[in-house]
Amino acid sequence: MNTMQLQEGIRDINLTYLMLAQQMIKNDRPAAIFRLGISGDLVDVIDNLTPSQIIKMAASNMLLCRFRFDENLLLNLVDDFSRNRKMSQAHAAILMSAHPVEELA
Amino acid sequence: MSIKTVVGEAQQVGIAIDLIEMGARMQMLQEETTLSRERLLRLYKEIRGESPSKGMLPYSTDWFMSWQPNIHASLFMDIYQFLVKNAGVEGVHALISAYRLYLDEVQGIENDEPVLSITRAWFMIRFFKAGMLRLEPCIECGGHFVAHSGDLNENYVCGICHPPSRAGKTKAARLSATAQLA
Repeated sequence: MNTMQLQEGIRDINLTYLMLAQQMIKNDRPAAIFRLGISGDLVDVIDNLTPSQIIKMAASNMLLCRFRFDENLLLNLVDDFSRNRKMSQAHAAILMSAHPVEELA
Repeated sequence: MSIKTVVGEAQQVGIAIDLIEMGARMQMLQEETTLSRERLLRLYKEIRGESPSKGMLPYSTDWFMSWQPNIHASLFMDIYQFLVKNAGVEGVHALISAYRLYLDEVQGIENDEPVLSITRAWFMIRFFKAGMLRLEPCIECGGHFVAHSGDLNENYVCGICHPPSRAGKTKAARLSATAQLA
């Protein structure tokens, strides 16, 4: 994979993420805050982006979304899946909801 | 809250419809909306095609303590408190949003029946407000789980980190396993 393809992939994900996030927020704001894990202020910012702003934001060489699973949570999930135990998804959701949301700086 | 305005009444009807579709009982509808009993009954019959079930509501805090109900109840309560804290919703709106998200979590991923009914979820919120139940952090995974307020839970370990030996091995689970093999 060369640099061009890499950057194209990142831009694709950025655009998809922003459009999906905006759609989720417009459908159901509280649910979007839960699923995206970002604060109400940040949700409002994304909600008010115009299409041209979204395209400009997406055209970055860095990913806009951050990995939400921290080490403990990830280990827990891997552990649960390898033991093929039920409830691992519910467990992940329980742990995730205890996490703080991404706030505007 | 006054429902004398047309808009206010329409909002109340909307809330009642959401609750009835989720399977709420009459007592809960009367408590959470300002509509009259007759209108609620008519709404209920229109949506469900049958009269609401009568009788007592499931009134027990012990139900939330057994293994599977506890995990489902904890999942719902964690979502509910997340929404109240981060999304700025409250009251019956928070209940509806949280219950929707709970249903999505359970049905979309686990392919499981929603163990926690909306009526129990509503009761649980009241138990929390009354201080009878609270959320206890598990010392192993750090997740928060429903527990009795009066219990000594200093080194609380949740039912997922340490499942009881017979957890999940119900008759229904065995039947579905044999059905998959066949």
